[in-house]
Amino acid sequence: MQPTRILQGMRYRKLRLTTKDVNKGFYKGTGTGTIGRHTKHGGYVIDWTKVRTYVCPPLADFKLTPFVTKNTQKVYGQYSDAQGPRSPALYLSRWKAENGLD
Amino acid sequence: MAPSGVIRPSMGAVIESCRAAQLGGAPLRLATRAPTAARPSHLTSQRAAAISTTASLLKRHKYEGARKTRDNNKHRGESAVRRTGPRWRSSVDSEPLPKPVPRDEVPPVETDPNHGLWDFFFDRKTVAQPPAADAAHGRAWMVEELRHKSWDDLHRLWWVCVKERNRIATATWERNKSKLGYGDVEATDRDRQVRLTMRGIKHTLTERFNAWEDARKLAEADPEINLSGAGNGTIYTPAEYLEEETFDETEALAAEESEEKTATEAEPAAASKATATATLDPAELPASSKSEGAAPRL
Repeated sequence: MQPTRILQGMRYRKLRLTTKDVNKGFYKGTGTGTIGRHTKHGGYVIDWTKVRTYVCPPLADFKLTPFVTKNTQKVYGQYSDAQGPRSPALYLSRWKAENGLD
Repeated sequence: MAPSGVIRPSMGAVIESCRAAQLGGAPLRLATRAPTAARPSHLTSQRAAAISTTASLLKRHKYEGARKTRDNNKHRGESAVRRTGPRWRSSVDSEPLPKPVPRDEVPPVETDPNHGLWDFFFDRKTVAQPPAADAAHGRAWMVEELRHKSWDDLHRLWWVCVKERNRIATATWERNKSKLGYGDVEATDRDRQVRLTMRGIKHTLTERFNAWEDARKLAEADPEINLSGAGNGTIYTPAEYLEEETFDETEALAAEESEEKTATEAEPAAASKATATATLDPAELPASSKSEGAAPRL
């Protein structure tokens, strides 16, 4: 897509993409997905297997809060590998160390 | 004409009483009976009229040559100028009108003290906590701190964050509704820290999943790990164990037995993983303990 000359530059980049900015076939949506399908008569059939159900785990005995006290020092991980915590070798070694049964 | 109008009902009564006396056959003294007989006869005529009122009202057209068929106009003859009133009797309920109960006499609304919607409020008494209480919060979780938490802990912490954000949003909504004009800065700061924690949870889980994917590929080339499911189902055989096998047969057998035992024990352990983690207190777990999510799902 080539924006018009007046829109080229930093100013246009800050605008959010709309259907008018691109060719047809672009579906913006809201990232929510569907819960069924449209019928040819204009109705809508809800597919209950597609309806989202959010299950909250039991929180009665859960003591963590969204906040950490400011008295604790911020912890930064010490990793020898360049990949750091993302390293698969580190993951595997830890798995082996923790009995390797799964 | 006035005296005749006065006389007429009484005269009618006299005539009627005479007629009744003739029918009954009893002699009557006109002078004494006339005033007493006038009243009951008048009353009876009123009563009769009361009974037949509906019929007379329904039939408006009583003049000579009035139509016999039903009039299609329901409102014919009704006139506001002549104050005729409606043609039909309106139905009015005989029940007395209810009176409003004073506010202090209204019984309190019964609510469920354990209802889940109470989680949308910081307090049962107030709709929004004061800005000082809103500002009294710590910092968000660091990603490094979250890396040591299990899947269950992160899952539950996520929902704790969701509930906290719900509370903040409810309080903000109440403040806007009341147009209090304060507390937005503190609430926004608090919300930002919660969102940072939630971002950290997402970061941790994404990182963990990516590492697991690559670790699985790495495990396929690892001689210690058997992913094919062959043998007795043991996935991981340490290298030290392989070396020992060459030296001592009996020791290896014993080790194999113990390995089998642990393997069989691992089966129900894996099955009851969810229940076990639910009963465990995550806050009391050491930070470096083995995390559920960190455990490779090989």
